[in-house]
Amino acid sequence: MNTHVMFYILEQENTSADPLALVKLHVCIQAAHFYRQNQRVFIYTQDQEQAHAIDELLWSFEPDSFVPHNLIGEGPKNGAAVEISWQAPVNRRPVLINLTSTVPHFAHQFSQIVDFVPSDEQLKQLARERFKGYRQLGFKVDNQKIGQTINAEKVIDDAINN
Amino acid sequence: MTPTEHAFSQSGILAKVLTGYSPRQAQIDMALEVERVIDEKSSLIVEAGTGTGKTFAYLIPSLLSEKKVIVSTGTKNLQEQLFYKDIPLIRKALATNAQIALLKGRANYLCIYRLDLYARERGQLDAQMLTDFVNIRTWANGTSNGDIGELVNVAEDSSIFPFVTSTIDNCLAKECPNIEDCYLIKARKKAIEADVVVVNHHLFFADMALKDTGFGELIPKADVVIFDEAHQIPDIASEYFGESFSTRLILDLCSDVLQQYHTELTDVKQLSRAAEKLQRTAQEFRLLFSRDPERGNWREKIKQSRFAQLFSILKVDIDFLYQVLKLCISRNEAIDNCFERAVNILAKYDLMANVEVNGISFWYETTRRHVVLHITPLTVADKFSEYIKQSNAGWVFTSATLAVNEGFNHFSEQLGLESAATLLLESPFDYLHQSQLIVPRYLPDANHVSRAQSLADLAIPLINASQGSCFILFTSYRMLNQVAEILAEKTDFPLLVQGQMSKRLLLDEFIGNDQAVLLATASFWEGVDVRGDKLTCVIIDKLPFASPDDPMLQARSEDIRRQGKDPFSEIQLPQAVIALKQGVGRLIRDVTDQGVLVICDDRLVNRPYGEVFLKSLPDMRRSRNITQATEFLSALHQNS
Repeated sequence: MNTHVMFYILEQENTSADPLALVKLHVCIQAAHFYRQNQRVFIYTQDQEQAHAIDELLWSFEPDSFVPHNLIGEGPKNGAAVEISWQAPVNRRPVLINLTSTVPHFAHQFSQIVDFVPSDEQLKQLARERFKGYRQLGFKVDNQKIGQTINAEKVIDDAINN
Repeated sequence: MTPTEHAFSQSGILAKVLTGYSPRQAQIDMALEVERVIDEKSSLIVEAGTGTGKTFAYLIPSLLSEKKVIVSTGTKNLQEQLFYKDIPLIRKALATNAQIALLKGRANYLCIYRLDLYARERGQLDAQMLTDFVNIRTWANGTSNGDIGELVNVAEDSSIFPFVTSTIDNCLAKECPNIEDCYLIKARKKAIEADVVVVNHHLFFADMALKDTGFGELIPKADVVIFDEAHQIPDIASEYFGESFSTRLILDLCSDVLQQYHTELTDVKQLSRAAEKLQRTAQEFRLLFSRDPERGNWREKIKQSRFAQLFSILKVDIDFLYQVLKLCISRNEAIDNCFERAVNILAKYDLMANVEVNGISFWYETTRRHVVLHITPLTVADKFSEYIKQSNAGWVFTSATLAVNEGFNHFSEQLGLESAATLLLESPFDYLHQSQLIVPRYLPDANHVSRAQSLADLAIPLINASQGSCFILFTSYRMLNQVAEILAEKTDFPLLVQGQMSKRLLLDEFIGNDQAVLLATASFWEGVDVRGDKLTCVIIDKLPFASPDDPMLQARSEDIRRQGKDPFSEIQLPQAVIALKQGVGRLIRDVTDQGVLVICDDRLVNRPYGEVFLKSLPDMRRSRNITQATEFLSALHQNS
């Protein structure tokens, strides 16, 4: 299978205490995008806490950007359109959004992978490693900058209702 | 400036009577639309979110129009609030002499004839009935309008009332010796003469469907008709455009016939034979159905030969009684009345037997002793829109909960109101800061064995944080009782459980006790009014979708499917959305109200239709973290 990886480079400075805050937001925006294309998505997180953070963020999106989703361990039998987990996937989906610091061992199961390069130096280094890792698996890897085009603060204000 | 615009302005009459009045755009928008619709004799559908002030927004232009106005609302309580509180205030403000009348259904008025009859003939009374009876007699001497709602010392559900009020069946109408003093006729007269008449939906549609033909139409013709709580009308309307046939009607008739035989017509032996035979068959008919009360599809049942057989015997027996009664015509008034009832029962029988008719739902429901067969039209849109067209009046349909997904189609289609103007006015409340909507994570399935335990575990921290003041609502009695049992062991807050006492008593107890936790079924919610801190937390076990077993829903779904549409999104989803919106409206009633709604159904998060719910509900702060809710509630109760 020809897996295509898209790295989004986040140039905007992350002003939150959580170095991954901006990444999490973009994970959700991407999930919303794929849901509206009718593509089922698997969001892979580092741990349960991170999965809950994504869950919370998606649930608080504006109704117009509603994304039906579930955590692993709840929801319908075959999962909702978007499934969030810190464990390997149990059903097949075309799209993986990776929030972990390494290349998932099951990455080859997906035809499309979304990954991120955060602005934090240390995290950026880990992203470079993943970039290489995907290439070594023979995936086609592209990248795209987001930052200047999006006013992240505004996106957060618009997307989250608190 | 129109008169309505002026009334709502900073220097208008409202500002003069209401201290601290400041004009609100949403209210003015609605009032102006109502004014226009009255003027043009057209129709308007308006959702006015809680706190918009919709009551004044329709009352002021209506009273200013100086036309004949009917206001119909959902319950007797709301009728009284309009009649005794809101309208007098507006009347004073506008300094008008407009006459107002309150008109309720027949069962709300004392029947002098039956009261006297009962006083003479009553048999053994238990202590409660006797007390109630004495109280009613005392009150009857002084009342001016005979409205039993005035009785403060007799319980609403007292079994005495059927004996001192009349029904369309036992009313003697023109033959009544007390007709001169009849409270129902007096109320009706007042309504004809009044400028503004306050009625309720049941009365309105009963009258419209010409059910109550005792005195002809009860509700006078009007130039303006306003429905408040309009979200209830489609269901009520279809109920009254249908018919029902019950074994109770048959048994009541039989017992009246037997009474006549034993007292006045002792010579007609056939009367007792016919009535006793019919009694037995009607009782046997009930026994064909399962012992426990249920609802189901009558078309399916009558296909079975044992139902078909006994149902046709029923016909033979009704016929026999009818023939015997026919021979007794003119012997006395009571037996004439029995004859008319037999004619009526025969006509209804034929409706129930003719199950091939399309566009109608045939269904039955059983109580412990009786069977009721119903036919309900699948749609009232044709009839209702024709009625409106003929009325030459302005029509307003309003409620705090009418829109689904920001649209009104599901409502207007049911009533044939496609050409009505629509208006959607948001509530002025700050739901984002006043309220939270929580859908907890990892709840076991609705059918999982640990479900009740999980719900109880979840509820306890919420009850503690909310210090009682909590509703827990269920879609099944089984789950209700299971959770109640677990909670009883684990919490010291007083539990009020539906089934322990009447609904009214439960509510009184809840309002009287700051710390109470009320466990009830979801339907309990509609019409409940609890203000302020009394209710800060509502937990719902499942999204309020109607049960797929409901025969009326099945029939409607079948009809929608035939039109090539999806019954779930056309019927079940809008219904559930409105029910949930109603619930939020009960939780947050005021700018200062705060509260948490916990929905233990993750379908709201993981199904695409979650979007429809979110778009239709007020913009509450959403979370999946139960701690968010407990912190919010703790803060709330520390501040107060």
